[in-house]
Amino acid sequence: MVVVDDGSTDQTRRVVEGRARVVSLPCNLGIGGAVQTGLQIALREGYDLAVQVDGDGQHPPQEVAKLLQASRESGCDLVVGSRFRQARGYKSTPARRLGIGFFSFILSCICRTQVTDPTSGFRVMNRRAIQLLASRYSEDFPEVEALVQVHRAGLRMMEVPVEMAERRAGKSSIGTVKSILYMLKVPLAIFMSLLRERGNGLVH
Amino acid sequence: MTEHGQGLVFLITLIIFAAVMGLVLKRKITERFAILWMGVSLLLLLGSSLGFRYLFKIAQVFGIPYPPSALFLLVIFGLTLLIIELYAWVSKLNERSRALAQELALLRDALDREIASRSESQPANTL
Repeated sequence: MVVVDDGSTDQTRRVVEGRARVVSLPCNLGIGGAVQTGLQIALREGYDLAVQVDGDGQHPPQEVAKLLQASRESGCDLVVGSRFRQARGYKSTPARRLGIGFFSFILSCICRTQVTDPTSGFRVMNRRAIQLLASRYSEDFPEVEALVQVHRAGLRMMEVPVEMAERRAGKSSIGTVKSILYMLKVPLAIFMSLLRERGNGLVH
Repeated sequence: MTEHGQGLVFLITLIIFAAVMGLVLKRKITERFAILWMGVSLLLLLGSSLGFRYLFKIAQVFGIPYPPSALFLLVIFGLTLLIIELYAWVSKLNERSRALAQELALLRDALDREIASRSESQPANTL
C-alpha cells in the first residue's frame, strides 16, 4: 500500500510511516498530481492492478474486494465504485448530487454506457489504464476527465455498486467558488478532449 | 502629434530597447524571450520613429475616427498576444515542475528504501 503525501502539513508522513509506504511530494500538487504519482509507482514497479482510494475514509476498505473481483472477472481496464448503484451508504449533499447527475448524463452520452458516479475516486485500474493515466492525468478535478481519457483511448470501463461512508476527517477541497470552477473547467476539458483527434493519448 | 511629442515617444521606446538589451546581455532573459522582446522593442522603435504618418492612414482604413485610438488598438492587441504567450509558457513550466516534483518524490522514496534495506542487511558499523 502506498500513501501519497501531497505536501501535507499534518504530519501524515510521521503517522503513516511504518504502517504503509509513504511517498512524499516536495510540494502540494493537488489531487491530480498526487494520484498520478501513485500510478507512476504502479507503472514503474510493474503492478498488474492499481487500486485508488481516497484518504478521508469515504471509501471503506472492505469494498475494495468487490472492485477487484469485478476487474478480474470482466477484464475491464477501469472499474469505478459507484455509490449510486445501490441504496445503502453515503450519497453526498443534494447540490453535489445535482452536479454529479449532470456529469453522469454527459459521460453516459460520450461513453455510450451508463455512468452513474463519474466523480467517484474509488477505482481499480489494470496495466493498460495505469499506463494511460500515469502518462497524462489532469491536474485539478481529474476524475471525470480520466473517464473520458479512458474511453477515448479505446479502453473498457465498468461500474460496480459500492457503499461509501461520510468523510471521517478533513474538509472537501472543493468549496463554493471551486464548485463553480469545477462546473466550468470540467465541461470545457471534456469538450476539448472530444475536439482532439480520436485515439490521442492511446498507449501502444 | 508635435515633434516634441514624437521625440518623447522615441525616447521612451529607446529606453525600453536599451533595457531589453541590457537584460539580454546580463542573461536575465532567456533566449526565447530575448528574441521576442528585442523584436517588440525594435518594432516600437521603428513604429515611433516613422509610424505616425501612417497612423492616420491606418485609422482611416479601419474607420477609426480618432487616429491615436488605432495605436491603442494595435498596442493592446500586441500586448494581449504577448500575455497569451506568457500563459502558455507558464503552463509549460507548471507541467515541468509537476513532473520534476513527482520524479523527486519517487527517487527519494527509492533512496529511502535502499538505505533502509542496507542498514537491515548489514551491521551498522560496516556501513
